[in-house]
Order: sequence, then C-alpha cells, then structure tokens
Amino acid sequence: MFVYAGLVLGVMVAVYIVAKLFKLSTELSMFAAALGGALAGGFGLPPRHIAEGAMTYLDINLIFITATLFMNILKESGGVAFSVRGILKRFHRSRTLLVILLTVLLLLPGALTGAGSVTVLITGGMVAVVLQTMGVSRARTAAIVFIIAGLSAAAPPVSLWAMMTAAGVNMPYVGFFWPLLLPCVFLSLITIFLLGWKGGEIDLEKALAELPRPPEGMGWGKVFIPLLVFGALIFMGRQWPHDTPILGLPLMFSCAAATSFFLSPVKLDFLKISRETIKQLLPLIGTLTCVGVLVQIMTLTGVRGLLAVTVVTLPVALVFATLFLVLPISEAVLMWGAAPVLGVPLILLFNNIGLDPIVALAGMSVIWPLGDALPPTAIIGRLTVDVVGYRENYARFLKACIVPALIIMAVGTLMVVYSARLSFLTGL
Amino acid sequence: MKLRKLVFAVFGLLLLTTSGTSFYRSRHLEEAVVLSPGVSEVKKLGDYFEGIRGTVNDCNIYIMEGEEPGGTVFVMGGTHPEEPAARLAAWILAENAVMEAGRLIVVLSSNRSASLVTRVGGAYPPDFSIPTDWGERTFRLGDRWADPLDQWPDPEVYIHYPSGQFLAFVDIRNLNRTWPGRPDGSLTERTTHAFMELIRQEKVDLFIDLHEAELQYPVISTIVAHDRGEELAAFTSMMLSDMEFNMGMEYSPPSLHGLSHREVGDHSDAVSLLFEAPEPFLDATRGKTTREQLLTGKDEFVVKAGKAGLLFEKMDENGWPVDVRVGRHTSAVLMTMETWSELNPDRPLRCRGVPRYDEIIALGLGHWLHDPSAAPPERVEIE
Repeated sequence: MFVYAGLVLGVMVAVYIVAKLFKLSTELSMFAAALGGALAGGFGLPPRHIAEGAMTYLDINLIFITATLFMNILKESGGVAFSVRGILKRFHRSRTLLVILLTVLLLLPGALTGAGSVTVLITGGMVAVVLQTMGVSRARTAAIVFIIAGLSAAAPPVSLWAMMTAAGVNMPYVGFFWPLLLPCVFLSLITIFLLGWKGGEIDLEKALAELPRPPEGMGWGKVFIPLLVFGALIFMGRQWPHDTPILGLPLMFSCAAATSFFLSPVKLDFLKISRETIKQLLPLIGTLTCVGVLVQIMTLTGVRGLLAVTVVTLPVALVFATLFLVLPISEAVLMWGAAPVLGVPLILLFNNIGLDPIVALAGMSVIWPLGDALPPTAIIGRLTVDVVGYRENYARFLKACIVPALIIMAVGTLMVVYSARLSFLTGL
Repeated sequence: MKLRKLVFAVFGLLLLTTSGTSFYRSRHLEEAVVLSPGVSEVKKLGDYFEGIRGTVNDCNIYIMEGEEPGGTVFVMGGTHPEEPAARLAAWILAENAVMEAGRLIVVLSSNRSASLVTRVGGAYPPDFSIPTDWGERTFRLGDRWADPLDQWPDPEVYIHYPSGQFLAFVDIRNLNRTWPGRPDGSLTERTTHAFMELIRQEKVDLFIDLHEAELQYPVISTIVAHDRGEELAAFTSMMLSDMEFNMGMEYSPPSLHGLSHREVGDHSDAVSLLFEAPEPFLDATRGKTTREQLLTGKDEFVVKAGKAGLLFEKMDENGWPVDVRVGRHTSAVLMTMETWSELNPDRPLRCRGVPRYDEIIALGLGHWLHDPSAAPPERVEIE
C-alpha cells in the first residue's frame, strides 16, 4: 500500500509539474494531476468521482459568488469610494486613526467573503491610493494590501481554510470567531503600522483628486443599510432559529446585494456586474472545483491517507518547527486544497496530543495566506501588484512582505503550540 | 479557440451523462428485505406522523409481535448509512428474528435520504455486495448526512431544538444530531420527531441505535447509555466482555444534545442505548477507498497509525471484517434483551433465529440473508 500510494503521488506531482511547464493554469494543472493519479491508481477516468469531487465546495463557491456580487454592487454604486473619501477627509490629520480605519476597510470584504482577492479588488486599489498620498512607497503599499488581504480572508465569519479543515475532521465550524479575529486584527495593525507609519504629510487635495468621486446622493445610510440587512438576517437566524426559515449564507448575501442595488443613487447594470463578478471569480471558483476533484482522487487512491499517516506519525517537535514553511508552500502549490490535504491530518495529530484543535487551526489559518504571494500560483500576490500599480521587480515586493510575514509565522506557530492554554478564546 | 470550447463541451457532456447515470442508479438501487416469519406487520414512518408521509424518509417499520407478551424493543439501523454493519445487523434481525416474548421493532433506513448519496470528497463506492449461500446481495453505501437534494440549504449555524446548543451547520442533516426533532422543522428534524412519535405511540421500553466509528474516535467498541440505562448497559457490557468479545460502557453526557442516547431517554419513557463497532473505512488515515477495504476492514495505514498510539481500538493485519462488526451488533442486541429480561421479568424480551457473533464469523453474514426470488412476493419489501 505504501509503495502503491507513493507511486500514485509521484505520478500526480509529475503531471502537475509538466502541466505547469506547458503553462496550464493552476486549476487545470490540479485537474490534470487528479486524472493522472486516477489512471496511475488503476481507476481509469472515473466520471462519478470527478463529478462528485467537483461538487465538494459548491456551497463555498455560492457564498463566494454572492458575497462578491454584493461587494461589487456596493463598489459600483459608489459606496466604497464614498467611504474611503469620507474617512480620508475626516481623519487625514491623524495618521494613527487613518491607518486603523484603512485596516478596517481592508479587513471587511475578505472577512465577509473568505477571499483575499475580493479585498484586493474592492478596497485594495483605493486604500493604496490613500497610502501613497501618505508617502508610503509602492512596494510597501503592495505589501500592506497583500498581507492584510490574506489576513482578511482568514478572519471570521468566513475563513475557508478553517471551514474546509473543520469539515474534513467532522468538527463543527463553531468557536472560531475570537481565535481568528484577534490575531487577524492584531497582525493587520502591526503590518500597517510597521510598513505604513513612516511617510510625509498627507496631501488631501491630491488624494481626493485621485480617488473616484461617488455619485450625488450617496451617503452613509446607503453604505450601512445593506450591511445591516445582512447582519439582521444572521441575527434573526441565531435569535429565533426555530421560527425563522433557513436562508443559508448565499441567499443572505444576495439579500444584501439586492438592498445595495435598490439603494444605489445611480442606475446599475445588474447583468453586467454579475458577468464581471463571475469573470473576476472564475480562477478561484475553478481552483476550488479542481481542488475538490484532486482531493477526491487522492482519497480514492490512498494518497490522502499516505500524507495523513506520514504527517500524524512525524515527531511533533519537527511538525511545530516546520509549520511556518510547510503551510505557505502547500498554499502556494494547492491554494485552498492545502486545507483538506494537509490541514486535516495536522489537526488530527494536534487533537491526539491534547492541543485545542480550534485554536490550533486558527493559528494555521493565519499562516496559510502568506503562500498566496509565492510561485507557482501567487494569484493574490500578482493581483495585488497589478491593482496597486507596482511595476518593479516582484522580488522587491516579496522583500517588503518579509518582516510582517515573519511576525505572522511566529504568532501562528505560537497559537498552535499554546493552543490548549488559549482554548478559553473559543468560548466553548 | 472554437475547437477548444467544443472539446471541453463534449468532455463536459460525457462527464454529465456517465456520472449522472451512476448517481441515478445508486439513488434508485432497490434493496430487498425477505421478511422473517416473525414479522407480523410492516408499517411506514408516516403512520406515526403525517409530516413525514410520502417523503424520502418515509421508511419501513418492521414489527415482530411476540408469541408471549413482554416489553417492546426498538432497534434502529441506518442512522448513518456509511456505517454499513449497523444497517446489516438490523437486516439480519428483519430477515431472521422471531420473538418468543415481547415485541421487536426494526428500522433499516432511518435516514433513508442519507442512504441515497455518497460523501463529496470521500470517494466512497456507491454500493457493496455481500456473498450469500445463493448468490450475492447488493446494498447502497450512503453517507452520514441527508442528501442535499432532499434538504438544502444548510443554515449559517445549526442551533439544536430544544436545547439551543450550537452545532456545525451540516449537522442539521445528521439524524444523530437532530433528536428529539420538531414537527415543523427540516426533513431530518421531522424524521426524528416522527421516530419519537413511534416510540411514544408504540410504548417502546428499550431503544437501541446501531453505529460504527473510526478507530481514531474515542467512543468505540462500546455502549453509550442514557442515565436510566446505566445498569442495563453495565451488565450487558460485563456479560459480553466475559463471554464473547470486549465491550465498553460509557455514560451519555448530559450536555451533549441532539444524540439519540441523550434525547430519546430525556423525551420519552424508553431507555436509550447506542452501540459502536469499529470501522477502519471511516478513518482519515485510511489507504485506498474501495469496497474491499469497506468489507475486510484491513488497512496498512490505519495499522501504522495504531502503532503510533493514535487509535482507541486495536488494529492489526486482520483488520475489522464486516462479519465481525455485524456479529458484535447482533450479539450485543441479543445480550441486551437477555439482561433486560433479567432486570425486568414482568416485561421480558426473548428472541430466536438471530445469529450471535461466533455463528456469523463461522458461517459468514451472507448465510443469514435470504434469496428474495425464492420468497413469496408478499414477504419481500424494498428499502
């Protein structure tokens, strides 16, 4: 069994590398690796498993799509520009308050949608303009947007790494709010103060001129009411769970999107925004779909079991000492696929040795997004430098990320090691 | 570009057709039950609660009236269909049991919806076959949760009724997290409500929920007992460990809600027990996910996890064959009836025709599965 599964794993890795050499996208390379694994494992091309695996993250994809549609409608209606300009006008004299509010703006979209790319696309560009008028270099601006976008994706309520790993070990996605929120907020603030503190006086006129102008009639009410609708639906479901129809998160986000659409002071082309949302999300939806197929084939052929048993039988000290490297690298190769493939056995191991699986998983979840700037995928890293307008050497951008990244790695690892002592954060 | 799109479209269509056929077949695979001579009546769950009638979970209820009066025991299989030994043990009862005293009620597909789907990402085979003396019988494998085709969407978080305890959103489709259910809830909540009505209307004295567990799960090879069943479970566990195989006993935690061993006991007069047998197929460290692994319970990777001290049950190269797992359940049910009769002589439960652990291992589980084509049509039911 060990030789068989090892050979299948070897074939999958080889097919993935060859596919990347042929310039196939990450999602298609993963799909090709899955097919290669099924063939090498003697299962032929199993249509049932391919289709079933592709459906694994259907619900998460739906959350992704509807949440991003909501954010895009808010952006197109001028709500995001209005908020950024409002914050800048009100707080441009206080650098401290301004960077804190910019952090909130960066954290919100990703926390609601579970996708760092949504943060980069919705608020990343505008926050970058403000940061540059504050005298922060483009490389540092890109680093701030990238790091906080990653932390926003790990932040609650939607953290895909935590959700996917928890689902893989039959653990409820409950008790994660504070263990995820506290490090994400703390590390985001450290990042923005570390990289964005030094700079000159803010040129308000210049900044306002560069930012898009919101349409007439946009106001704070029109920004907050859709968010309140979403919050109210969550609240009702929790307060009166047995008297409220089950809507599910996708429909809740759709309700918020509809509210934002109807409150918009300008007429919006709903179909155009929907099309652009899908176009914008296609690589991520494709990745999640292909990760599902890959994981299904790995499970079918025993490769997942091989990885799981290898990880859970490693010396614990070695696991702790290499988490900071293994997690980002696995993210760089598999993106969210790293959670079910590597996260599941690690959480089983941590649970077995008496650590708190919720806090440990939260610690791992803040480290994982760092891999999104690394090749071969580097999707969020590339997207960030694009949106921020950073045209110089990619390595310089990575260098700007190093100090906050090291702090994040240290905090995440310590959360894992001391998870049992931090279990009070779960509130369970 | 056009050619590329055409190739992808053809590939997609092929995938849709071939996988769709497979899904359709497993959702519509008919499983026969050859009724034991002891089965006096077959009812539907909808007979006890209108809200479930005609739904996918309106399952068969097999009732075996005893030759003499006594207590009433209800044995439930199929809470989690991905635990096949639990369903198969109930099958053995439905096809072989004859009650000498008391009454036996058996359900084979308590979450029938969950038996019609396999787990996404789990790579489960859609079905499996058991060799018999006359050929083979094929059964659906199923999943832990009801099919999203029957119950969707899931809530943002599942809040259990009536305790208000927060549970994973997906567990609103898990039959063993929705007890005691509610009449206007989700399909799974209505199903457990219907079973509670059955328990109350049929005046069930003893309720047994059959399960299997991964070896990395601490609650394994054991009886989990409600407070009122502690004495019964302790005696049964002691007798089984002394005479047949090692069996533990655990108390149902009062703060863990939605599970049958807690809620059935709390919300009815029945004593509730839950039996767990080991199933390496469910372990996250398992190797190839195949029918062979499911039925033999052999797995080198799980053995390695055991050597590293990560398991709560022994695991060696002999594995945990399905005959052993089913035999544990049938013996545990029979021993529970015997202990019950000693503790409650005014409401005895005596049963014949059901094989014990040793007999199933000696002759194979298939020996007690009968040929539907050789039975009178009126004595064959479909699950």
